[in-house]
Amino acid sequence: MKQRHIAHYIILLLVSLIIVFPLYLMFVMAFKDSKEILGSRYLLPSLSPTFDNFIRIFQAASFGIYLVNTIIVVTGILVLQLVMIIPAAYVFARFPSRISGFLFILYVIQIMLPLEALIIPNYRIMNAFGLINTRVAMILPFVGSGYCAFLLRQAFKQIPRSLEDAAVIDGCGHFGLLRNVFIPLSKPTITVFSMISVATHWNDYLWPLIITDSNIVRTLTIGLGMFVQHESGADWGMLMAATVFITLPIILLFLILQHTFLESFLTSGIKG
Amino acid sequence: MKKLFKLAIILVLLLTLPLYMVMAGGKKEEAKPEGEKAAEETGNLERYKLSEKPVVIDFYFVVGVAGPLAQVIDGMVEEFNNTHQKILVQPVYAGNYNQTMTKVQSAILSGIPPDVFVVEISELYTLLAIDGIIPLDKYIEKEGGDTFTGQYFDALYGNARAEGKIWGQPFQRSTPILYWNKDMFAANADRLKAAGLDPTRAPQNWDELEKASTILTDREKGIWGVILPGGWNDWIFEAFVYQNGGKLISKDAEKSHFDSPQVLEALKFWYKLTNELKVSPPLRPWNQTPIDFSSGHAAMMYYSTGGLPLVRKQSNFDFGTAFQPKKVQYGTPVGGGDFHISKGIPPENQDAAWEFIKWMTSPEMAAFWSRESGYICINKKGLDLPEMKKYLEEFPNAKVAAEQLEYSFPKIMAPNFQEIRKVFVANLDAMMQGQQSPEETQKKLHTSVQKILDEY
Repeated sequence: MKQRHIAHYIILLLVSLIIVFPLYLMFVMAFKDSKEILGSRYLLPSLSPTFDNFIRIFQAASFGIYLVNTIIVVTGILVLQLVMIIPAAYVFARFPSRISGFLFILYVIQIMLPLEALIIPNYRIMNAFGLINTRVAMILPFVGSGYCAFLLRQAFKQIPRSLEDAAVIDGCGHFGLLRNVFIPLSKPTITVFSMISVATHWNDYLWPLIITDSNIVRTLTIGLGMFVQHESGADWGMLMAATVFITLPIILLFLILQHTFLESFLTSGIKG
Repeated sequence: MKKLFKLAIILVLLLTLPLYMVMAGGKKEEAKPEGEKAAEETGNLERYKLSEKPVVIDFYFVVGVAGPLAQVIDGMVEEFNNTHQKILVQPVYAGNYNQTMTKVQSAILSGIPPDVFVVEISELYTLLAIDGIIPLDKYIEKEGGDTFTGQYFDALYGNARAEGKIWGQPFQRSTPILYWNKDMFAANADRLKAAGLDPTRAPQNWDELEKASTILTDREKGIWGVILPGGWNDWIFEAFVYQNGGKLISKDAEKSHFDSPQVLEALKFWYKLTNELKVSPPLRPWNQTPIDFSSGHAAMMYYSTGGLPLVRKQSNFDFGTAFQPKKVQYGTPVGGGDFHISKGIPPENQDAAWEFIKWMTSPEMAAFWSRESGYICINKKGLDLPEMKKYLEEFPNAKVAAEQLEYSFPKIMAPNFQEIRKVFVANLDAMMQGQQSPEETQKKLHTSVQKILDEY
């Protein structure tokens, strides 16, 4: 028994090493100058750490504004996704009919469509609404998330009818049911989806790049893109400094939410 | 009763969509006259209130090389705006070449083209196919025709010409050059001399290249003699074909010349270096190559001039640049991006765009841009400016690219270039990895390229 424990820890240790190592290198490189990065001590932290890379990336791009925009866009997407999809998933799960079945299939098909294929049509739609170069244009295409609809429908389907009936007897309407029964009992799914959504859209690059023009509406990844070069190879110090700045908020967010995240899984056992 | 509910909910679901759109619309920034909004962004509103309203033009640009080039471009544009009261250029960073092209295409196809933009030179036929750009001949004529174009290295216009007209103005242009580690050559001087090579200069022909890379390869230390990088290996390979006196396709883009003995010889030479002698790694990623070189894991590399500032910044040793070694002649294709002016925009915007292009490629700006980016100084007059002369004296490595231009050829250009490039790269990759012989590669390349050319 004890040996098995040790084996578990070794495996866990190895897995976390694989995950932590790139992050470690990112931090190490962000504080080195170019020559040191390619020197012989490339794996070790710098003896003379420098903030030059950070100073230079902030001069090169308006990362502060980008950060604010990214937060607006990411939360905008998430809130609207949940507002739109929770009622939709409720219908898909509880009122099966030809129409809702058909709509659900549309949602599922949408999961399989790569964004790249939709760039030009999406661009023309945004243009028709006069939304080019706005934050809204970065939010809209992702609101009707097929993935979210699929996940939540499955979660709602597993909720026992008896709970629903009890709530109806107590006088709950549709929205009361959603608020008092469906949403609380699907908290793990909603949490997981929220995290996936935030992480995904935090990293959106191509669409924001194409739909926006001015710095005041652009997002972090576009700032990062300026340091990834195709013709010449990248300046790693600057690239890593930019990466640190961009990933840090989301890493912190996940560390803070870790507890809530686990908790939602643990409590979910009581349901039904 | 239940059915009614169902219907109601579906209705609500459908109704929220337009409602949501309206909500979203409300969030939009207040509509302002374009010039005013732009001026406000750049903080120049005061100035424009006094004078007449400027022509506002959007400029999509690419950042292809390392360094804070977006910042450099913003600075250049700001200077232009400060010296041109009637024009306001808004620079828009549009990603790498492919992303910029997607952005340009989306905008053109949606009827709101950017006024002026830079894309990769091979995209010319695609731009013509979507009818997105105007020829620049009338502007060039006005500037003095040949005397104007004469300022620029002639090879650079090769990729801007089609249908008897000039469609682009050279801007960020590069060629491959040979980088060599002088310290490593010096450290192996005896062995190089024994083989009849001069350790104080780079190899000048294919034979010398082969010998030097064999000597300098050190498997124990993990040092490669030379790196023929992957990723843009089609571009580097094209250079080898020119060096051997051959070409890839005919000028009218109708016939493939991949079946020529010159191509086969070049393929065989690559196969020898990567697979028989194993002095070049089979497929080093393009971005990884300058790191290998700068960290002392390669004695030589074929690489874009665009990598020059970065290599200079990060190398701990003395390095040199040189012409790519010749076979029967020196030869190289050019690469990089050109300016284009969009079609579907008002004539005054087109005129303003030309003013901007002319300014950006003037001797002073071309020289400045070359120093900041590592691209070639496209304007010959720029090379004679005192600050450029001083720069080249301090850093003679930057001179090589301009001198090599004498032996440069336009890059391969065809209507469906992207398709050709795809099979080209795929077959080169397969050969470099040892999956197919040079003969096989040549046969496959010739038949598929000819097929693509015939389709058009």
